[in-house]
Formats: sequence, structure tokens, C-alpha cells
Amino acid sequence: MKKKKIGVYICHCGGNISDYVDVEKVRQAVEGEDIVFLAKTTMFACSDANQREMVNDIEANGLTSVVVASCSPKLHLLTFRNVSQRANLNKYTYVHANIREQASWAHSDNKIGATEKAIHLVKAAIAKANYAEALESNKVKAQKSVAIIGAGVAGMKAAISLSNKDCEVILIEKEPFVGGRVAQWNSLSTTTETGKEIVKRLYDDLITRDNITICTNSEVISNKGSVGNFTLKIKTTPRYIRQSFHPEDLTRAIEVCPVSVPDEFNFRLTQRKAIYKNYPGEYPQTPVIDIKNCTRCGACEKVCPAVDFNEKEEITEITVGSVLMATGFDPYTPGYGEFGYATSENVITLPQFKRLIDEQSGTLVYKGKVIKNIAYIYCVGSRQTKGDNTYCSRNCCTSTIHAAVTAKSKFPDINNFHFNRGLRTYGKQEILYADSLRSGDIYLQSYEDGLPTVTIEGNKTIVKINDILTNGKEIEVEADLVVLVTGMVPRADNKVGTLFKLPKGRDKFYNEIHMKLRPVETVIDGVTIAGACQGPKNIAESVNSALSAATKSYSIISKGELESEPLVAIIDQDKCTWCGACEKACPFDAILKVEDKGKIVAEINNSVCKGCGMCAPVCEPDAINVTACSSTEIMSMIDTLV
Amino acid sequence: MEESLKSICYDALVIGAGIAGGEAALNLANTGYKVLLVDKELSVGGKMIMLSKVFPTLDCAACITTPKVSEISRHPNITIFTGSEVSNIRKLSDNEFAAKVTKKPRYVHVEDCTACQLCEKACPTSVRDQYQFGLIGRKAAFIPFSICSPKAAAIDIDNCTLCGACERACPTHCIDFTMETETIELHVKTIIVATGFNLFDPNNMPRYGYGKFKNVITAMQMEREIAPTRPYHTILRPGDGKVPDRIAYVLCVGSRDASVGNPICSQICCMYSIKQAQLLMGALPMADVTIYYINIRSFGKGFEEFYQQAKGMGVNFVKGKIGRISEKENGNLILRYEDINKGKLQEAEHDMVILSTGVLPNKGIDGLFENETLYLDEFSFVGQSDKLASPAKTSIGGVFVAGAATGPMDIPDSILSAGAASSEAISYIIQHA
Ligand SMILES: Cc1cc2nc3c(=O)[nH]c(=O)nc-3n(C[C@H](O)[C@H](O)[C@H](O)COP(=O)(O)OP(=O)(O)OC[C@H]3O[C@@H](n4cnc5c(N)ncnc54)[C@H](O)[C@@H]3O)c2cc1C
Ligand SMILES: Cc1cc2nc3c(=O)[nH]c(=O)nc-3n(C[C@H](O)[C@H](O)[C@H](O)COP(=O)(O)OP(=O)(O)OC[C@H]3O[C@@H](n4cnc5c(N)ncnc54)[C@H](O)[C@@H]3O)c2cc1C
Ligand code: SF4
Ligand code: SF4
Repeated sequence: MKKKKIGVYICHCGGNISDYVDVEKVRQAVEGEDIVFLAKTTMFACSDANQREMVNDIEANGLTSVVVASCSPKLHLLTFRNVSQRANLNKYTYVHANIREQASWAHSDNKIGATEKAIHLVKAAIAKANYAEALESNKVKAQKSVAIIGAGVAGMKAAISLSNKDCEVILIEKEPFVGGRVAQWNSLSTTTETGKEIVKRLYDDLITRDNITICTNSEVISNKGSVGNFTLKIKTTPRYIRQSFHPEDLTRAIEVCPVSVPDEFNFRLTQRKAIYKNYPGEYPQTPVIDIKNCTRCGACEKVCPAVDFNEKEEITEITVGSVLMATGFDPYTPGYGEFGYATSENVITLPQFKRLIDEQSGTLVYKGKVIKNIAYIYCVGSRQTKGDNTYCSRNCCTSTIHAAVTAKSKFPDINNFHFNRGLRTYGKQEILYADSLRSGDIYLQSYEDGLPTVTIEGNKTIVKINDILTNGKEIEVEADLVVLVTGMVPRADNKVGTLFKLPKGRDKFYNEIHMKLRPVETVIDGVTIAGACQGPKNIAESVNSALSAATKSYSIISKGELESEPLVAIIDQDKCTWCGACEKACPFDAILKVEDKGKIVAEINNSVCKGCGMCAPVCEPDAINVTACSSTEIMSMIDTLV
Repeated sequence: MEESLKSICYDALVIGAGIAGGEAALNLANTGYKVLLVDKELSVGGKMIMLSKVFPTLDCAACITTPKVSEISRHPNITIFTGSEVSNIRKLSDNEFAAKVTKKPRYVHVEDCTACQLCEKACPTSVRDQYQFGLIGRKAAFIPFSICSPKAAAIDIDNCTLCGACERACPTHCIDFTMETETIELHVKTIIVATGFNLFDPNNMPRYGYGKFKNVITAMQMEREIAPTRPYHTILRPGDGKVPDRIAYVLCVGSRDASVGNPICSQICCMYSIKQAQLLMGALPMADVTIYYINIRSFGKGFEEFYQQAKGMGVNFVKGKIGRISEKENGNLILRYEDINKGKLQEAEHDMVILSTGVLPNKGIDGLFENETLYLDEFSFVGQSDKLASPAKTSIGGVFVAGAATGPMDIPDSILSAGAASSEAISYIIQHA
């Protein structure tokens, strides 16, 4: 082996490292090592100026490998690999040492110890660099197509954006109709357009495009492969109604259907038939038969020839380069008795209230009673101190005030009482709050330790609060209607997230790679997240994230070819005895059972293997090595550490 | 001055190189488009590069901004003009805009400058440092700040006495007083406006004593005091250099206040104040930190938890609007406020006060356009023509907007907005090819 010439850079990280680790001492400790050609300290290793200096050093001195001791490799492994590459070094010869999270931050109470540990970590990295080999990355062909899961505003906007970029799109929606939640809203805050109009506008655009395939009533049921080539199976449940139909026949068919089930579109405020459409202008325009609730009585078939119970479930297989997840949210369902929910006739949720005021005109009536006093109780299911939902749902304050203002202009006799926990009409939405105050709405506030109470006395519903805005005075309102401002929670059905192994955050929404800088990418290469499935958002915010995700998905596949990491497991098939332990340990199904020279052995599927190394330690005969983490490299590191 | 006239072509022009403009430029460049990124300042990075740590992750801002900046400045598809302004934008057709770019002289040849700082040492003239928000001074020959990009000196010609000391001190002879303003004629297919925001000037609110009482500073100044590249290397109050131990934050300064002409909420100041409070509690374990607020707006992902964490650490939250601030002889400050919970007027003494100033529009962006009108919204932010369904579209086809130029926005929202603007711009180029 030719003797290595290693360059070592030790970063101050402004002060993040050098406040606790004596970086100069670290430098001196490694400077004398035989294979270390140069050792330097730097204020910010990642700064442009230092990167240039590193390139110069490598080229001028013919360094064979570089070690940077700085922050977590999650932040900067790629940065410095790229530096090596720019200086014509194989980028896999680069070795990273983390002395910020692992030394300075972990031991901020012990400067001497932190320095000592940093020295060990850097020495171990140097030992690894001594054995680091040049590797070539694999090239994979990437499909220039994207599957979008969920056709709410986020999914629809992402589809249009990708279609504009000449990219093939398959838009998969599990409901029979597109639009997601926005189709359920009429009037919206900060615009005169209704939710249904926005959905119509987007749908009209979608269907003019040859490169978008819309699959409604469809779900992804399996996923194989990885970035560049995801092979998905899509199950499509039939509508049981042929596309060419006579509208009058169908109206008749809906009339004669004897089944009545709670209407989820109206949040169970009303009932619907088994053959249905949620609203007249809904897309696609063909109604659907809800086969789970249909009794097959055949009444509809008799009046409408377009009904066809012979339509069959279909399974389609597609291969796409990237997957964009836009499955949205569920409104929080309050627990039994939570602020009188389900125990009082007069208690409903915000989404129900929105549907209610949309459906009515003249006077506001609920369950036969004319409504005058409305109490809104904020933060139900959000900002919990007892439950799991510690987060704020971001847009319910604005949505509630908007609904209250809308209701008041439609039904001028009502009085609005807002039992809130500090209003969050951030940004320009503040204007709406001012409007509501001007129209005479009353605001009462408490903290988390003094939440309002709802009591039922006969057919009266009383909401009580110790209002902090009036010096803690107890105030009660006899409410004809109590509206629980329910927040956003992740979709209850997460089968599709599990298929892609998408990680979730503390709030159980899908988690991004980096909250600040990479909010639409996930740790699963090639899978992006958009809209409210990543966390509560209003429409504009959902669209921004959808277009961002579309851009990221597009930039992954637009070149038609991908570089994949050469970090994979390698099996020494002579040593392998096929015990199957590795197959069980692998989280990515990358291990195949094959026959080689008359012997059953394990083989690695390189395009799926992530090089995570889970298989190596379970292999009894020690037949597995992982590139860039070979036993020689790891042992040499351990030797310097102990 | 004689102007040289050159003409250049790019696919896209991005005006403003803050985090929004930078992200938008990268998205375009990574998809193969040639981008010209123009910023009027001497460095790219906008406000973010000046911050300490960022809420709610407490990532060090410099550590996450510099690699972005470095990616931008190295990208083969991105050309950067700092110290430059765009004007006279004309739409010639659906896929062609013309504009004038004015490159002000830096009086330093950036390629040759090694940032050795010898010119700084030699320069006899000291002025207030705008990049440290006036906390300390700098020379007239200076490197803007330690992590600036490009990392090169510049001559502040307005304050320079032309003594020539820097020129003599410079070992690479890169200082050149003969540099002139360059005017370049630019042709592009699409434009992204990412000109960011301005901060409310608390001098417009005399009752808080900013500018008069030395120990009343702004949150941006506090960002600099707690940044890793901080000017004093510790936290102290500017009046007498004492380490403060009773610190107050005044929220909504210049926001939610029709009397100063800004009725909207600035969306970021609650959170950045909570962040600073946490950092101060870490740096000065003995200090008391009190936040005076109207409502705490911790609405984003992880924000409410961050607020609760601050409470748990012992940050004192008081619901009340500050009426006025007065100064004691020892430099301490008396805050008069209405304590909402107690329902009465109160006074409290603090030894340092931080004003959490709000977000204002960067006015006059519409003036850059010549033959078409860029509409502004009622608050003078860049107007959105399809607010909900296409938030990045403006009143001019082919011109898109990103980041805080459309309204108050934190970093993740700026990144998403930049993603949307670049997506629209890419679609626009392809559709109008
Ligand atoms: C009461 C209330 C009022 C609101 N008012 C406003 C307002 O006035 N203004 C405003 O801007 N915003 C408002 N919003 C927010 C708005 O509803 C959301 O921003 C928006 O719905 C988010 O869009 P999305 O596409 O991310 O998710 P969704 O609208 O939830 O759409 C997701 C789609 O994905 C589908 N899906 C889910 N799982 C799967 C799967 N496994 N396979 C296939 N498809 C799947 C769903 O069926 C759905 O069609 C309000 C929200 C609430 C709760
Ligand atoms: C004190 C403080 C603390 C903060 N802390 C946080 C935090 O912890 N976390 C967080 O998420 N957010 C934080 N923010 C918010 C964050 O700064 C903004 O979200 C972000 O800077 C917005 O980026 P931008 O690119 O849109 O605008 P800017 O950062 O304002 O960038 C705009 C750029 O455009 C340039 N420009 C302007 N006009 C022109 C022109 N005419 N020609 C050429 N160039 C021009 C400017 O020089 C600037 O470089 C904080 C803000 C403040 C004030
Ligand atoms: S947006 Fe308002 S109502 Fe919704 S959780 Fe946050 S504070 Fe509560
Ligand atoms: S974010 Fe907070 S401090 Fe800033 S204006 Fe809004 S309420 Fe006031």
C-alpha cells in the first residue's frame, strides 16, 4: 500500500466547538502522526473560503485523503466529500469526525475531557482514512415520472406543476372524488373564491393534460424498489356506474336508493344514500356506488341503465422515479364528553359548523332550534397539556374567526363568543381579527390551566370561564350552539406511510429531513412530502410546499439517471452458509437467496441495499463486509480509541 | 463617470440573495438553468446569515447558512453580483425581459483578495458597522463580516479619506481606486423577486427611548450579541459594558399597531424572542428574562413545544403592553405597563431592554419595473395575483415572488415559498420556450 498523505482540518465552528474543545491542542496532538501531511484549524470549515483552501491544499500537496473534524456528518459529510471531488480526489476517501455533537456539546461541563475525547475521535478518523478506498458510485436509470398520492389542493397543484415540466404524473386518490378537504369548504379566508371553485379550477386544468393520469377510488397497496424506480401496485375500486350516463336517470337512481348512512362529507351532520355524489359540481362528475354500504337491492339499476354491478376491481402496476406524498390531515375528533361533545345536543365541531353555515340561509337553525348565542372553544385537540397533541394547529384561530365573521354577515342576529387561549392570527390574518372585534364579537381568554367548562342544565348549555382579560372574572354564556375548534391531526389511516417507511415526527405528521432548510424531503430517497400531511397548513402554505416538493421530485429524476451510493454490503459467498440471519436483519429487503455453484447463498440487491450494516454483525461465519466500513477500517478505529 | 456597457443573457434573474433568493436560485440551477443572482449588499445571505441560532431547532444559523451560501457561490449555473442593483426592467415578450444591472465599485479585486485584513489594520477611519447593527465600529477599508461571501475586503468610499494607507498595506495589490460603476444590459426569460423585508425603526416610537437610552437595543442587535461570531464575545449591555441580569423583551414593537401604520402581525418576533430568551438563559444562567407580550404566536411545527420549553426553563412571560420606558441614573430602565392578568398598571425595573421590532415591507420594488406594473398589496408587500392557489405569481406574467418580500415569514416558510417561485419559474421557461 502506498503511504497515505492525509490533510486534517479542525473546525472552531464559530465557538460552538472551540468554546469547549481546545482545537489548537487537538491539532498539535495529530500533527505529528506519520501519515498526517498537514493539520490546520479553521473558524468555519464549511465556509466558502475554507473550502477553497482545502481544494488548494489537496491539489498543491497531492493529499490522498482528507479528514474534517467538525459537526455532525448529517450536516456536512456531503459538503466535504464534494470538496474532495472538486480537487480530483475520490470522494469516498473523505472521512468525517464529529467533535461538536460528540465532544463540545456533549461535554460542555468538562473542557479537558471534551478536548481529550475530540483528540481520540480525530485519531480514529485518521486511522480510518488510512484504509479508506476509492469507490465508484453506481449509476441507476431513473423513470421520468412521479406518483402523487392524494388529490387535495397539494396533490393537484403538484401534479400541474410537474406536468408543466413535461414530467409524467400518476395522481392517486383514495376517495371517489378529488379536492380533499378544500372541496368541503365554501367561503375561505383572505379570498372571495370558494373552496369548491378552487377545486374546480384545478381539476379543469388537470384534465386538459395528456401527461397526467388521474386514478380516483384508488390506493397504493404495495411498493418495491427505490429512488428512480419505485414499482407500485394500485388497487382501483370500481364506481359501478359507467362513464356515459343520463343525468336524470342518475338523479332518479339516487332518489330510489333505500340505504341511508351518515354523510362524511358533511361530517356526519346529514345522511346520504349508498349511490351518491357529495355536491352537484363535484369531480369527476360520475357518481359512485359505495359498495360497502350497498345492499344490492337493485333499485338503482332498474331506473338507470348506466349502473353496472359487473365492474371489477383493478390492480395496476406502475414504475415511477419519485413519489410525492400529499395525503393531508384529519380534523381532530373530540373524546366522548370532551367539552360536552356527544353528550350535549348543542355541541359540534368547527368543520361541522362550516358545513352548517354553508348549507343554510335566512336564520341559523340547528336541530330545529334557532341559534342566537354561539360559543367557540379554541384549541380542542391542540396545545394539549394532558394528551399527545402538544402542537398548535396553526390555522384554526383564523378559520374560526373567519367562520364567525361569515356566519355573522349571513345571520346578523347571532352573537359570537370566542373562548380562546391567545389568538394566533399571525401575519396579515391579523386584519381578520380586527374585523371581528369591530363587528362586535366577544373574546374571552384563559391559559392552559384554566380551560373553559361546558355544563348541561336541562336543555341549556352553559360555557364558563375565568376570563384573564377581565382580571380573572368568572363569566358564563348560555350558548345555543357550542363550536369546538378542533385542530388538525395526521390521517388515521397510515397504511401508505408504512409502505414507504416514512418516519413521523413528535406530532405524528410525516417528518422532513431538516425542519429549517429541507422541509419537503424525507430520509427515504426519492419520496417527498407536501401539504398538511407534513403538519398543519392553510391552502397557500400547502400549495407552496406542494410546488417545493414537485421541484425536488423533479430535480431528482429530471436527468434520467441517478448516482447511487456505492456503500453496500458485500457477501463472501465462499464463506456464506445461508442461515438466513441476514435476510431477517435487513430492513430494506435487499438480501436475496440464490444458488451459486450448487450451493444456496445470500446475495445483495445493490440497488436496494443502503449499506446500513445491519446484516454484518449477525453473520455467524463473518461472510459480510460493508464497503467503506470494512472490518479493517473499523478495527483500526477501535484500536486508536481504546 | 464613464460607464462601460455590456450585455449578458441568463435564463433567470433572481433579485435578492437572502435565504429565499438563494434557495430559488439553487432550485433553478440544479434543474439546469443559468441564473443571475443579484444582491445590493456586499455579501449574499440576507438576514439569516446574521442570526445567532434559529428557532425551533436551535441550529447555529451560520452553520446551516454558510454551506448553502457556499453551494450557491460555487454552482456552475449561478453567477452572483453583489453590491449591485437591478432597474429598468422591461418585458419585451412572453419569454424575454430586459433590465439594467448597476454594479457599484468595491474598489477591491475580489479574485485577488485573500481577506488577510491588513487593509483593515492600516485604515485610520472608523465608522459604525452596519453588519453588526451599530454595536461596534469598523474601518472604511473592511471585510463585511467573518462569514461573508464573497470573502473579500471592500472600501466604503463615502467614509474613505483616500489616504491610501490600505493600498500600501495590501500584499496582493488588489485595492484599486480606479474601479468604476459598471452598467450591464441584461436579458432573461423569467424573474424572481426575493427582496425580503425591512425592520421597523424604533426611533419612530420615542416612548421606548431607543437611541436615547443606551441599554435599549433591538432584537437584531441581540442576535449579533449571541451569535457565535459575536462582536463582544460575551453578552453585555452597551451603556456601560455590564453583564445584564434582568433582561426584558418588548414584543410587537411596530407591529399590530395602527398608530404606526402597521396593523399586521410580524409572525416571527414572538418566536425569535423566545429563542433569544432561551439562549440568554443558557449563556447567563443567573439572569432573569421577562417577555412582555400581547399574544404568543407559536403556531408552526415544533413552535408551541418550544414556547413551553422556554416556560419550563424559567423565562417569565407577562401579558401586557408596555406604555413607556424611562431611564434611571444607573442606566437601568423602568417599564410601565398594564398587567392584563392583574388588571392594573405596573412598573418593573430591568437593566437591559430588547425591542422585538416588526417586519415592514421593503418598499419601492414596484419602481424597478418600467413597462408593466408590479402590483403591491395593501401593506406594500409584493402583491400575489392568485393568493391561495399560486402564491408565487405576481401581477406580471413571468415575474414570481419568494420569501418575506410577500409578507412576514420565517425561514422554513421562506424556503417553501422559494420552492414555489422556482417551480413556477421553471414551468414558465418550459411553457414559453
Ligand atoms: C375547519 C377548517 C377550515 C379551513 N379553512 C381554511 C380557509 O379558510 N383557508 C385556507 O387557506 N385553509 C383553510 N383550511 C386548511 C385547508 O383545509 C388545508 O390547508 C388543505 O386542505 C390542505 O390540503 P392537502 O392537499 O394537504 O390535504 P387534504 O385536503 O386533506 O387532501 C388530501 C387528499 O389525500 C387523499 N388521501 C389521503 N390518504 C390517501 C391515501 N392513502 N391514498 C390516496 N389518497 C389519499 C384524501 O382523500 C384527500 O383527497 C381549513 C381547515 C379546516 C380544518
Ligand atoms: C431578529 C430576527 C431573528 C430571526 N430569527 C429567526 C429564527 O430563529 N428562525 C427563523 O426561521 N427565522 C428567523 N428570522 C426570520 C428570517 O430572518 C427571515 O425569515 C428570512 O431572513 C427571510 O428571508 P428572505 O430571503 O425572504 O429575506 P432577507 O433575509 O431580507 O433577504 C433579502 C435580500 O434581498 C436583498 N435586497 C433587497 N432589496 C434589493 C434590491 N432592490 N436589489 C438587490 N437586492 C436586494 C437584501 O440585501 C437581502 O440580502 C429572524 C428575523 C429577525 C429580524
Ligand atoms: S391555531 Fe389557535 S385554535 Fe388552533 S391550536 Fe393554535 S392557538 Fe389553538
Ligand atoms: S409575532 Fe408576536 S411579537 Fe411579532 S407582531 Fe406577532 S404577536 Fe407581536
